[in-house]
Amino acid sequence: MNSRAAALTLCAIRGCMDGAIPAMMATCAIDGTPNVAYLSQVYYVDERHVALSFQFFNKTRANILAHPFGTVLVMHPVTIGFYRLHLRYLRTETSGPLFEGMKAQLAGIASHSGMADVFRLLGSDVYEVTQIDDVPGQRLPEPPARPDMLAGLRLLAERLTRCTATDEALQASMATLAEQFGVRHAMVLMHDAAAQRLYTVASCGYAQSGIGAEIEMGHGVIGVAAQERTPVRISHMTHAASYSHAVRASLQEIEPGVTLHTDIPFPGLAQPRSQMAAPLVAAGRLLGVLFVESPDELRFGFTDEDLLVAMAGQLAATLELLQQQPVGDSAEATATPASASAPVPAPQRQPAGPPLLVRYFNANNSIFIDQNYLIKGVAGAILWKLLREHMHDGRSEFSNRELRLDPAIGLPDVADNLEARLVLLQRRLQETRPGVALEKTGRGRFRLCVERPLKLAEIGA
Amino acid sequence: MPDMPPALLTPEWIGMIDKGVSAIVASRDAALRPSVMRAVGATIAPDGREITVFLARSQSRQLLQDLAASGQIAVVFSSPTSHRTVQVKAGGVTGRPATADDLPLLQRYLASMEWELCTIGYKAELVHSMLAFRLDDLVAISFQPETAFDQTPGPRAGAALASAPAGTP
Repeated sequence: MNSRAAALTLCAIRGCMDGAIPAMMATCAIDGTPNVAYLSQVYYVDERHVALSFQFFNKTRANILAHPFGTVLVMHPVTIGFYRLHLRYLRTETSGPLFEGMKAQLAGIASHSGMADVFRLLGSDVYEVTQIDDVPGQRLPEPPARPDMLAGLRLLAERLTRCTATDEALQASMATLAEQFGVRHAMVLMHDAAAQRLYTVASCGYAQSGIGAEIEMGHGVIGVAAQERTPVRISHMTHAASYSHAVRASLQEIEPGVTLHTDIPFPGLAQPRSQMAAPLVAAGRLLGVLFVESPDELRFGFTDEDLLVAMAGQLAATLELLQQQPVGDSAEATATPASASAPVPAPQRQPAGPPLLVRYFNANNSIFIDQNYLIKGVAGAILWKLLREHMHDGRSEFSNRELRLDPAIGLPDVADNLEARLVLLQRRLQETRPGVALEKTGRGRFRLCVERPLKLAEIGA
Repeated sequence: MPDMPPALLTPEWIGMIDKGVSAIVASRDAALRPSVMRAVGATIAPDGREITVFLARSQSRQLLQDLAASGQIAVVFSSPTSHRTVQVKAGGVTGRPATADDLPLLQRYLASMEWELCTIGYKAELVHSMLAFRLDDLVAISFQPETAFDQTPGPRAGAALASAPAGTP
């Protein structure tokens, strides 16, 4: 259209395609009647293509199938600049990464616009962008310059290469988000493949850490990112019941007639305005989700998504590496359990005081210490094993390896992230201080510290 | 016209358009390539038989050319707060430059849009930028709606409004 338009790239106006502000599409029927309609979603595919959500068999779609030309009006949510995209319809995809990515974003858009029951993605209509018009108008200033993201990523890479334990890698990621990118609310959740849930192992910025809090696969931004293995970003959540991760407090019947509260409240912001989640995937396997959020609207743009996905890739690779058996650490393999069960110098105080009542519910591996819920699932089974062996023969020193090999713990397979379970367990013990703690004593080794005598009760055996 | 057809738009739709909601205008060229732009103002006659939308020439060159050449117009009106949406179409338009006489209704339109968008969380300065214009850059496009469609989001979107346009038996 003019020289300014010729220089304009689709990438430069990605901000128009984050679902914050509805776009409009004009089409034309073959009888010459124009049509104009709102679009839920204009999705950036690559530098020459966008995809539009196909949700209903409407006039727009009928027109496009008969005469494949459309013109879309988009607006930048910060500068308020208008752009027109001239499109030619190519094809419709109903599965695969593009479709799943759009479906996840649409779920967010639908949820934050109160249209959760209305919007359903039937297909991703892929269009070639043949021309972009830069529409003149009054514009607001561009967002202020950002700190150098590449330098921040470099710092994360350096920190992660130095990490020798899962918890260090998690903390390095949280610290980088806060220090380098000003992200004040973040968490990492790990995937429990057997339970089809995600559990929180690290968080920052919340009054309660929420370590151990769970999210169902497919639930909220985090669950969708995990289920679809695609980044999900929502940048405008004002006019809606927010796309909440809050798990409805539920009383779970652990045993017939035994109903106990085993939910750890999810730590997320009560009223998030921007949220973003990137799956942690390594060697093709879902490990978990890296999640950030903000009380500010439009906090996360496409560049932030680029950054989060890059961080998630680095973190996932590190977590996967740390999960591997320590190379050359044959000492661990040979030293346990024989030498570990041998008497070792007791570095801890002798347990004293009234006994701690530890109840273990077989049905879901949940553990209550005195009357308080501590943990369930694989982490619960791990702690139960440790406590039983401690009671039985006084052992305090343990290794990751023996846990991996113990069928009673029920790790779903060797790929299960045992390291993350131990981080979860250790953190829960630190936060609830029930008189039992875990201390790391070396790579792949830890010590069970018990302050009071134990009284163990297994229920539903 | 001896017998006026029943009004196409119900009082409810007329009230929504009159109040001032988002208005997006489209037409097409001889090759049926569509053109589109947001109006910076809109008004409707009390009986709903005439609608006027205001477009900035600098933002709508192709659209104004297409409207002049084909007379084909489609306008979608939508309330950001309620999602209520209606599209009207016509096969003929008239255009004129906007004048100072149009300013009160343009200001009323801006005030309504500011209320609509600020209610759902947008900042007023955003609304003012989005609808900014120079009066001498504005064209008023008037037409008599011939067909109308309820486009409120949902599976029933696109349903023609019950009343038949002129010329229908």
